[in-house]
Amino acid sequence: MLARTEPINGTAKPKPVSSPMNNFKSDLLNSFSLKSLKLKTKQQELLIRVSILCLVYVLAFITRLFSVLRYESMIHEFDPYFNYRTTLFLTQKGFYDFWNWFDSESWYPLGRIIGGTLYPGLMVTAAIIYWTLRFLRFAVHIREVCVLTAPFFASNTTIVAYFFGKEIWDSGAGLVAAALIAICPGYISRSVAGSYDNEGVAIFALLWTFYLFVKAVNTGSLAWALASAFGYFYMVSAWGGYVFIINLIPLYVMVLLITGRYSLRLYVAYNCMYVLGMLLAMQIRFVGFQHVQSGEHMAAMGVFFLMQVFYFLDWVKYLLNDAKLFQVFLRITVTFTVGVGAIALGVGTASGYISPWTGRFYSLLDPTYAKDHIPIIASVSEHQPTAWSSFMFDFHILLFLFPAGLYFCFKRLSDATIFIVMYGLTSMYFAGVMVRLILVATPAVCLISAIAVSATIKNLTLLLRAKNKVAQTASAKGIGSAKSSSKGLLDQSQPFHRNGAIALLLGAFYLLSKYAMHCTWVTSEAYSSPSIVLAARGAHGNRVIFDDYREAYFWLRQNTPPDAKVMSWWDYGYQITAMGNRTVIVDNNTWNNTHIATVGCAMSSYEDEAYEIMRSLDVDYVLVVFGGVTGYSSDDINKFLWMVRIGGGVFPVIKEPDYLVNGEYRVDKGASPKMLNCLMYDRARGVEIGNKDVKLEYLEEAFTTSNWIVRIYKVKPPNNRW
Amino acid sequence: MASQTDSTPIYVDPIFHILKIIPFSVLRPPRLRLKLPNLTLPSPMTVFALVLLTYFMVVSGIVYDVIVEPPGIGSTQDPATGSVRPVVFLPGRVNGQYIIEGLSSGFMFVLGGIGIVLMDLALDKNRAKSVKVSYASAGISSLIIAYVMSMLFIRIKIPAYLSELVIR
Repeated sequence: MLARTEPINGTAKPKPVSSPMNNFKSDLLNSFSLKSLKLKTKQQELLIRVSILCLVYVLAFITRLFSVLRYESMIHEFDPYFNYRTTLFLTQKGFYDFWNWFDSESWYPLGRIIGGTLYPGLMVTAAIIYWTLRFLRFAVHIREVCVLTAPFFASNTTIVAYFFGKEIWDSGAGLVAAALIAICPGYISRSVAGSYDNEGVAIFALLWTFYLFVKAVNTGSLAWALASAFGYFYMVSAWGGYVFIINLIPLYVMVLLITGRYSLRLYVAYNCMYVLGMLLAMQIRFVGFQHVQSGEHMAAMGVFFLMQVFYFLDWVKYLLNDAKLFQVFLRITVTFTVGVGAIALGVGTASGYISPWTGRFYSLLDPTYAKDHIPIIASVSEHQPTAWSSFMFDFHILLFLFPAGLYFCFKRLSDATIFIVMYGLTSMYFAGVMVRLILVATPAVCLISAIAVSATIKNLTLLLRAKNKVAQTASAKGIGSAKSSSKGLLDQSQPFHRNGAIALLLGAFYLLSKYAMHCTWVTSEAYSSPSIVLAARGAHGNRVIFDDYREAYFWLRQNTPPDAKVMSWWDYGYQITAMGNRTVIVDNNTWNNTHIATVGCAMSSYEDEAYEIMRSLDVDYVLVVFGGVTGYSSDDINKFLWMVRIGGGVFPVIKEPDYLVNGEYRVDKGASPKMLNCLMYDRARGVEIGNKDVKLEYLEEAFTTSNWIVRIYKVKPPNNRW
Repeated sequence: MASQTDSTPIYVDPIFHILKIIPFSVLRPPRLRLKLPNLTLPSPMTVFALVLLTYFMVVSGIVYDVIVEPPGIGSTQDPATGSVRPVVFLPGRVNGQYIIEGLSSGFMFVLGGIGIVLMDLALDKNRAKSVKVSYASAGISSLIIAYVMSMLFIRIKIPAYLSELVIR
């Protein structure tokens, strides 16, 4: 860039004069270096900001690549395998086939309507990236695109966080927010490379929608409101957590109305976003007409009508010009509106048109509900309530900065800060109810903490620089007047204040650097394991890798007939379908409780009863996970009580106390008799402890992996007795 | 539904007119001196105090306490002497706690937050100098104590914390 040699400080530097040719070259060099250094302050600031954002962008991407570097580029966990399989289908067959796909390979014999029971946002996004790269003639495999989608969107989230922070507070807060979000473990846990799941894209969509909405409320422009409606559409297509948006935004509007901040900007923003967003959301088949039918979406509709009432009242007030008359009119209207609203809600709920809150979301409001009524929801480990150490693990010093940031927001209330406070508080409450929702709280906590950091550091640096100026002016003006005595006092306390400010700044940098170290440690140790490949410390301290799961799935793929049906617990369903390419009975979608309960019943009954169930389901192979030899702790025996609970939920024959001894769950010689004889025990622990001499009549062992973790049994066909 | 009592009241309210006819042409309401209480919005700082209290409860893991119902403090038995010793921190898992452990950690977090707030209050120009100095020192010491104690707690709970910085 060519900056003129306009001096900033009032001093001009003369150009050096020497021999012509060298003169020319050295002239160019000198003038180039001089010119490029003499940037105006605004340009310097822009350069610093852009370079910080670029660094943060790259940092967010590379910190999520630990598992790719350690193992290989593969998909982790269970759910992502289903997403990968559907994305593969999408890229191979095209969008219309994908949208109308009926999958007969999972949930045998029921099948599954894929087009109508998933959120297509993630798959379509990955497919678009894949097609773009192909168009630019980069020959990538779809698996690489899937593995790296989440880190890419995490980097985009940091940019959105910067703009959001700038909107709420100022650009300094935006930069800090971007930096904090790039490495926050709460977000990293669900967006490492290989975690190809809805949340990776959904958090980006969430923050994007919120940013656009706050921008629309701040500016009152229709364009931003339209953009936020499209952002909401993207969020609805990506994740079921869009219900959070459609409830938080009406709540926010209510709070603004209550605190007397109604304005035309709010009216335009909310109406446009609600109507257009609702219409767009109905395009997703999985969501369908829920926006007008489901109880979870009714708050948005109620607030929509309330806004119309407010606007109407405002207009009438403007027309009437008479305060008393208006008061009367106000009372009539409010009574009428509330009455009509209550009647409509009552009629809708009673007639069944408005469905009540589903179990998943109701258990967020009443956390004890799931424990008593819906064991499937209660059994997922991510749905457990949160202990303090999970908070500390995922947030570190952000937990200190969050209340401080709230204080700063309350000090300087505006429409935007009210929003971020509400987002932070509601998401922290939900994060306390369910560990998995720490992810949703992370952007809010990072933003509010960024406000605290930015405000504190700004105060401290102002302290540093203001004392300097005061010193200069005081010494320049002389020491004769009454005011100067106080300035003299300031003079004396100056070095103390300056040193104090410097010490505090160093302390702040120390805290932030400890945060960075913590995040890197947590990412490297805790959140980067693919969980399909297990690693442990061997006897000599070297890292031993157990690749048993994939070994078992490939055996299934290569050594069983193509139409074989496999029964296992639902955790492994997606992986078996994706890698083993065989039909499964139940998988991670858990949409049919009775089907899962049937499998649970089969696993926990005596062998002959189980055989009947397996014949009725047409099962050819049974897959169990056994941890006895390797000390693997999350095998099927430990999940067994959940099978009993879920099976018992539907078939009252299975009773949980039958399997416990004095209320305790034991698997060794002291286990209860029903436990010792049931199918799962035979399959999993048949060789080690307790009942050592089990003889299997109806199943025979087909395959066991090299570390004894996965065992596959073949169901024998019935004897020809006649 | 009555409007205010004036010298010349204007009754536009239809419900008032209906009520005037149906029960109250026969019944005579007594003269009361009740007034509807004036609901005013609380000040921001009051709301902030309430929010801080809620934050303390959530971060201490109160939902975990209500659902899982862990004991207030754990206990182990010393194998040699047979005496029962209390255990404050639930060992082994990241997502598990005893009640007292949760409350004390939550208190540390809130203390750290209050420390930063006090530091900001100390920079306010309209206070006496001694008050400013005491706020600043209280703030800094709260923050330092909270941070050190939190690090200590997490080290006790997860012994392998920050121990393996060698990445293979």
